Amino acid sequence: MFRVPLLVALALLVAFGGGITSAIWALKATVGFGSIAIGPWVAFPEAQTVAADPYAKAHRARVGDLLYGGAEGLKFTAATDDTGARLSAACSYDISGMTPPARFWTLHTATTDGATLRPGSDLPSAVNSWTVLRAKDSSFVIHVSPVAQPDNWLAIRHTGNFQLVLTLLDTPTAGSSGLIDLAMPKIVKTGCGNA
Amino acid sequence: MRRALFTFLVGLVGAALLHIALVLALPRFTGRDAYTRVLGLLEMDSFFPLAAEPGPTGLDNNDPFLRTAVCSFSIADAPARFIARGSVPFWSLSIFDSGSNEVFSMNDQTAVNGDLDLVVATPIQLVELRKMPPEALAQSIMIEMKDEEGYAVLRALAPLDSFEEQVRDFLTDSSCAPFRRQ
Repeated sequence: MFRVPLLVALALLVAFGGGITSAIWALKATVGFGSIAIGPWVAFPEAQTVAADPYAKAHRARVGDLLYGGAEGLKFTAATDDTGARLSAACSYDISGMTPPARFWTLHTATTDGATLRPGSDLPSAVNSWTVLRAKDSSFVIHVSPVAQPDNWLAIRHTGNFQLVLTLLDTPTAGSSGLIDLAMPKIVKTGCGNA
Repeated sequence: MRRALFTFLVGLVGAALLHIALVLALPRFTGRDAYTRVLGLLEMDSFFPLAAEPGPTGLDNNDPFLRTAVCSFSIADAPARFIARGSVPFWSLSIFDSGSNEVFSMNDQTAVNGDLDLVVATPIQLVELRKMPPEALAQSIMIEMKDEEGYAVLRALAPLDSFEEQVRDFLTDSSCAPFRRQ
């Protein structure tokens, strides 16, 4: 006697439960399609345009960030190191190599939600292309670590996972058709804990 | 058993439809998209410099080296004009419509003499401006926007602490105001 209402209830439950959770999951998991990924670094050059896909539009409406225009710059984020392991605030990492051509770049750390980490004004919390110390061939090594390091040190004071944000300003990469050979810095784990 | 399976499949189809509807409709009613946040600053027609810490609207200087100012504007009655002068190592400007889609973006190297002088107008206003160009706009870049409301984001770079004052002056002296003929 109660079979039909029960089946209707089951269908509605599956429809609403599945629809809502899958939509929220999809918007949390990714910024949308159309990413360019170079090693662990990911950027979305078209997320701010009208040509962005519906997932990208819904994502940016939920997050509400002020995105970079095409002539402004391109923001790369990395949540993992080169081996694919998530970046942990208890570990130390070396970021080495070169960035793609840009007039200027900045590098800082952020939480996994994208909020900028500010370890305090007495600690070096960000580097840019003017302040970074370079080798003779203009490549650089930046030590991201919770303990003090010589040379380029990017301090992290956080628990859990974090991500790295590399912003290239006025870069041809933003309009890249894939013709430019893009080389992003490598992220290599050098140790964990106080060792 | 077969009826339960059928019900489950019907539920899955419903879930797929709901998923698509949610993703498509979400940009219209999140209430925390960038345009709503900029409007929440309650500052029309002037650039509002953002602080390092997120304010009540949740907007902040994301990048430690970039100082950001935002301005919401409407071109329903008159075109909007954006002016900024000063020497900073780098500045950039983006114009977005009310759906947070990029309309136009530029930086100091794509500007005339490195100064910002930009007019945003509707297609009809633009025809009028082109027919009788006012002398004040001889150097201005003119762009067309179909949407009547939008916001502008002006960023200036302070690579070292000693640039802070220059950058602050650049942002506070910048203007974002309706353009009217004298």
